[in-house]
Amino acid sequence: MTQQLISEITGTLWKIERHVGDCVEEGDVVMILESMKMEIPVEATMAGTIKELLVAEGESVEEGDLLCVIE
Amino acid sequence: MRNRVTSEPTGEKKKFSYAVEQGWPEIEGGIEELKFRRQQAQAMGGGEAIERQHKAGRLTVRERITLLTDANSFREIGTLAGSGKYDENNRLISVTPAPYIAGMAHVDGRPVAVGGEDFTVRGGTTFGSLRRKGGQGGFVEDLAYHYRIPLLNLIDGAGGSVTSIQRRGHSVFPGVHGFERSVSLLGTVPVASAVLGTAAGGPAGRAILSHFSVMVRETSQIFAAGPPVVKRSLGRIVDKEMLGGARVAVDQAGTIHNAAESEEDALRQMRRFLSFMPSNVWEMPPVAPTDDPVNRCDEELASIIPAKRTQAYNMYRLIEMVIDKGSEFEIQPTHAKAVITLFARLDGRPVGIVANNPMVYSGALDDKAARKQIHFMELCDTFHIPLIFLVDLPGFMVGEKAEQSGTLREGMRAVYSAGNLKVPTLTLVIRKCYGMAGMATCNKNDIDLKLAWPSAEWGSLPVEGGVAAAFRRDIMSAPDPAAREKEIEAELKPYASPFRSAEAFAVEEIIDPRETRPVLCDFINLADARLRTELGPRARYGVQP
Repeated sequence: MTQQLISEITGTLWKIERHVGDCVEEGDVVMILESMKMEIPVEATMAGTIKELLVAEGESVEEGDLLCVIE
Repeated sequence: MRNRVTSEPTGEKKKFSYAVEQGWPEIEGGIEELKFRRQQAQAMGGGEAIERQHKAGRLTVRERITLLTDANSFREIGTLAGSGKYDENNRLISVTPAPYIAGMAHVDGRPVAVGGEDFTVRGGTTFGSLRRKGGQGGFVEDLAYHYRIPLLNLIDGAGGSVTSIQRRGHSVFPGVHGFERSVSLLGTVPVASAVLGTAAGGPAGRAILSHFSVMVRETSQIFAAGPPVVKRSLGRIVDKEMLGGARVAVDQAGTIHNAAESEEDALRQMRRFLSFMPSNVWEMPPVAPTDDPVNRCDEELASIIPAKRTQAYNMYRLIEMVIDKGSEFEIQPTHAKAVITLFARLDGRPVGIVANNPMVYSGALDDKAARKQIHFMELCDTFHIPLIFLVDLPGFMVGEKAEQSGTLREGMRAVYSAGNLKVPTLTLVIRKCYGMAGMATCNKNDIDLKLAWPSAEWGSLPVEGGVAAAFRRDIMSAPDPAAREKEIEAELKPYASPFRSAEAFAVEEIIDPRETRPVLCDFINLADARLRTELGPRARYGVQP
């Protein structure tokens, strides 16, 4: 089973907290977006391993963009 | 109510062939005939049709009314309306009841008008009786309007059918059965609608003209027109759930306010909604005694706001600590989540809470959030429920998408609507209150009492970002522009302290977060006398932007 983390907001990827190959639990913060001058944490919606990160720090993201795939 | 048949001389003896087959004695009008006809009404569309309804995961309209209203309180009106079938000697064989059931009942001891389509009879399609029983302009609406009691619609039908053209020999002009009564009800008594099947056309429109609407996930859908019309008009093939299931109609579009997990849950939500409402605009909203102490000061409130300004917090948790325990009922919880709109109680008195949610779009007001807030403010204003704004608002949503969807116009409509409020409002700034969007969270027509927590900050726009625009020449001519920008920001920052505004009496009071509940309770109790002097319908003038 895989899960895709989608950006809920337009902004910039500020910080990656977990990297490809890392194990995550449900609710773990995988990355933090910056938007409207606030930090928006992106949390894992299930436990698993990070398979793919699709954006790099400093890149801008649109609402609905795929950010990360967890397996 | 006198039955016309009972008062007539029987003349030629009527016999009920069907009734006899069913084991009824020979009936000759009178009470026996009434009993038989009532039994026919109770049977609805018959056993098979009822089974089909149950198999689809749906209740019959009679079961719904029983669940929705107080035990044994339903007094049906129009029980006998239907299509009688007679044999060649004019003896009654059976009656197919009208596909709409209506009457008066009680909810939590208060009278209501209630009605709904009977899907087991011809799929709940419009019944061509002399007087409509329900739907727009139906008897049930007149009942609510005349007696000034709430109206509860249980919607399960697709409205008119083209077969009626054949029956009538002509087509009906739109508005012959108009929405005028439905519209006048919105200014006089609470109207709640549940969509409990697939609703299109008139019944769908009827659901929208409500103060509160709810639909069931998976088993109900709503749209202006269903899949066959979409296919014929646009050549697109969509299934009804994709077109008008709760994910679209509730979560995404906000066409219907709330989604329910089951029919029972939907009916429970209607009762819950009503518990905050007066029976009509001439009455006060009902007070419910509480054992939650007014002076409860939750310690956690002192630390709920993170020291780091860029970090969000849980606004729901904050609300929970302030209101009477367990008293909240959220309207539109899954749509436009940047703003939270919920009913709650303070010292037992109903209040409407509008709170910005820093977890979604940082609380910025977009077009949908503005629409949600406008509906809720007007609802509270109409039924004399004071409003509390818990403000953490960076401003209107910005960006191309926000501009393309008309955020500025919708946002200013929220400002317009807030400016028209007559009900007492309390503004409590939790953190940010910026710009024009901030103006949609207070009402200066009246006392204009603005409270704030020490974590509050406000202005036309935040110092960061604002500096870059206002001091552009200064910054650009500096040897290190970025450093100069930071320097100016640091210079201005102290003036952004809420205490400076309090010194200038530009905000009336800064309160310790732990005192929030006692302070709000005091003012809500104070609002009571004011509300009583302003009962009655709200006049609305002017043109919304």
